[in-house]
Amino acid sequence: MRGLGIVVAGGRRHRRRQIIGWALFALVVALIPFLIADTYSPTVFGNRYTVGLGNLSQAIALMVAVLGLNIATGYSGQLSLGHSFFVGSGAYLTAVLVNDFHWSYLSTLGVVVPGLFMFGVLFGIPALRIQGLYLGLLTFAVAAVFPSIIRLDKVADRTGGSNGLLIDSDLEAPAWAPLDTVTEWLHAVPGVGSRVPDGLTGRQEEAVYKYFLLVIVALVCFWLVRNILAGRVGRALVAIRDNPLGAAANGVNLAAYKTLSFGISAAVGGVAGTMLAMHSGFVGADEFGFSLAILLIVGLIVGGAGTLHGAVVGGLAIQFVPHWSSQTQTLPGTDVALEGPYGTAILGGLLIAIIFALPGGAAHGFRRIKARLMPVAPRPPQAEIVAGDA
Amino acid sequence: MATDGLASLLGVFDISLDKLSNGELWLAQFFRGLSDGATYASVALALVMIYKSTGFINFAQGSLALLGVYLVYVFSVEQGLPVAVAVVCAMVASAAVAAFVERVFIRPFPPDHVLPLVIVTLGLLLIIDSAVGIVWGFRTRSLPSMFPRGAPIEWGIAQLTWRTIGNLGTVFAVVGLLYLLLSRTKTGLAFRAVSSNLESARLVGIRVGPTLGFGWALAAAIGTLGGALVVPDLLLEPSIMLRVLIFSLAAAALGGLDSMVGAVLGGLVVGLARNLLVTFLDLSELALATAVAVILVVLLVRPTGLFGSTRVERV
Amino acid sequence: MSADYLEVRGLKAAYGDIRVLHGIDFSVAEGQIAVILGANGAGKTTTLRALCAMVAVEGSIRLAGEELAGRRTADIVRRGVAHVPQGRGTFPDLSVDENLLAGAFVRTDGQVRADAERWYEAFPVLGERRSQAAGSLSGGEQQMLAIARALMLRPTLLLLDEPSLGLAPMITRSLFEQLTAINAEAGTTMLVVEQNAALALGVADRAYVLEAGEVALSGPAGELAADDNVRRAYLGY
Repeated sequence: MRGLGIVVAGGRRHRRRQIIGWALFALVVALIPFLIADTYSPTVFGNRYTVGLGNLSQAIALMVAVLGLNIATGYSGQLSLGHSFFVGSGAYLTAVLVNDFHWSYLSTLGVVVPGLFMFGVLFGIPALRIQGLYLGLLTFAVAAVFPSIIRLDKVADRTGGSNGLLIDSDLEAPAWAPLDTVTEWLHAVPGVGSRVPDGLTGRQEEAVYKYFLLVIVALVCFWLVRNILAGRVGRALVAIRDNPLGAAANGVNLAAYKTLSFGISAAVGGVAGTMLAMHSGFVGADEFGFSLAILLIVGLIVGGAGTLHGAVVGGLAIQFVPHWSSQTQTLPGTDVALEGPYGTAILGGLLIAIIFALPGGAAHGFRRIKARLMPVAPRPPQAEIVAGDA
Repeated sequence: MATDGLASLLGVFDISLDKLSNGELWLAQFFRGLSDGATYASVALALVMIYKSTGFINFAQGSLALLGVYLVYVFSVEQGLPVAVAVVCAMVASAAVAAFVERVFIRPFPPDHVLPLVIVTLGLLLIIDSAVGIVWGFRTRSLPSMFPRGAPIEWGIAQLTWRTIGNLGTVFAVVGLLYLLLSRTKTGLAFRAVSSNLESARLVGIRVGPTLGFGWALAAAIGTLGGALVVPDLLLEPSIMLRVLIFSLAAAALGGLDSMVGAVLGGLVVGLARNLLVTFLDLSELALATAVAVILVVLLVRPTGLFGSTRVERV
Repeated sequence: MSADYLEVRGLKAAYGDIRVLHGIDFSVAEGQIAVILGANGAGKTTTLRALCAMVAVEGSIRLAGEELAGRRTADIVRRGVAHVPQGRGTFPDLSVDENLLAGAFVRTDGQVRADAERWYEAFPVLGERRSQAAGSLSGGEQQMLAIARALMLRPTLLLLDEPSLGLAPMITRSLFEQLTAINAEAGTTMLVVEQNAALALGVADRAYVLEAGEVALSGPAGELAADDNVRRAYLGY
């Protein structure tokens, strides 16, 4: 057990390594917005790409959307191709509350979360009877309907119909937030500093502030979902996915847990919608059609169904792959012009490739690599030793 | 806001007695419904063929049909072939593409794991749809119909057009031919044996892979034919078949995913429901939603559709 | 020693990472009946599946001197190997008649119809239900259908996986009588996997006992049946 870098789970060294890992993660999350507040635009093989804070913020919202889908599909194994419906509902609910009732963005979560939870439970009730592919088919159709509901004449004065809805409230950084001060400090740091502007413009400050808000909302979502899934509910859901009969025989109330999973899934999806509305200050009906539903499935599978890290990878993938492909205007290294939805095609290819080569998704792949580089042994049953801690 | 919303919801149903008592309008919508239904039925047939033989829904079925319809456009409008000939050529070409797709993307996966295969078809949907967008762009085009304009039979505003007759006739011909193919030929026997029991099919010497590839090719050809029926009523653009796919999925779910007769009846019912409900309840914006409502209600009452057989499936 | 019709050497098979057969040797002489006995999980079913290339195999499988390992299932079937799998060997959605036609799928001669009629005579129950869906038959009838379906190939080697499973003792006995009759009449070589050791040893010429993926015991069926120690240790009766 000693040497070789193997540590025992829960041991002091393992804890220390975890703390260092999380600290690094926090540092990166905190620094990134300042580094890309000035949109970073490298040129690779004759194509100019942008890495902006806006893209990253949107990716964070998408991570939460994938997280929500993960609960219904990844953990409890119910094929839902209609998650975009919940995301869209959340986004529009927020937009209407902010516009017509002058709520603040974050306070709309007080309506979005319980509202979408109930909505998801309602949605989950037919899902008890309709299973497998039939459920996939129904949810797929529901996803396709969302834009046409938003565009209905009867609701168009609230939803903006086909034109979409511009949300009037701007999120401005409060005076106490030391964003400018941090920027100036970072600017003074040698090396890194050259990438950081010497002060934030109003727009940049708003973007950085929104980023932090979104990160906090996302962290809360991930933390809550992790806690829910680590306990009784999570075990029940996985049991239902892997062996419904066995789960029922062991006293798991299938109906209750399945509807619950749809409820939680929808509530998290709704939060993702709120985040998207917060991020862009605009909602459009077509953004929440089944293209988004399929995109979220791509995110789920590419990242890894049934894992929390997978949602992070998935969110990044479905944001940046299409974004960067649309910026690839010539075939790298040549003059051959590329035009059209290459990003979507690449995502489709990625989806198939992942299913083929890495059935557990990227998160599973990372875990395998990590297990090889930094093995962690389970704690022996009566471990007195703090192994490896010499 | 709550009362507001309720009022507007009720207002959605503008039922007028004038309309309801208009017999010609009923008949007109009935014909239109049959015509639409026939097109949904043909794409639904394609979906059912794949489901029957493999146990999963091919979400890329609409995309293969989309590709087929663009090929019809190329052969007829660009190359100047007669439309019927162009349709046949496109059916053959899309069958070839489907056989290739099945060989490369589907066959490497174990046939009894349904969920990965469904996901792969979603990937194919993304790839094929965007490939069509890349090659042909997003400009709308009009596609000529195989059938002449005009209506041989008219009652006031109710017209039984050549197109309606043609659409219905084509679908019934397809069903008839398919029935003969499946029940009277050795290939058909192989296909049904594979659908019924994969392992035993292998054990009597049927080569399962090529048989399923044949199923994909046939389904794509039927889907292309369905697309060639439906698109002339609309305009050709890369997202056109997704709408059709939703209606066809509704039709297939209604009939039961593994029943061909069910697919045809389901298609006709969805077509009729769509046209009648939309007209008489003034739901033109909710055409798609009516399809979804049909799926939901049917599945709640009978979780395997009207004609589907119950099969144990784990996804 | 006469050349064996089926000769298997060093047969290994695995499902994924789990190795089920660890290199077994056995053989069946032409026109004889051999039986494979053993506890659940010993690898009996896998052995039969391996012969038909239904699992990945290593080793050598010779049928009438010709190597089968590495060939596709369809090619092996064309060489006259019919396999009745355990439990559901029929096509439940096809009619009884279509099941028999499917059994003759690889045959190209004109005798298929005549053969079907012959098996309807041998199994009159099937004849009465020829247009009924196979799935609507009783368990015993389905098992008969599965066997008739396999015989439609005019097999030179018939593999039977637990033909008695789920059948009433009376029906099982008559089934085995019919199998012996077919063996005597057509000279069909048979390899039978069976739980009912007493019954199987009664009709077989040779027996193999599998244990944890290896041949633990082999010999003429009569000798094995007569040896009390063997019976107690391996056959459990």
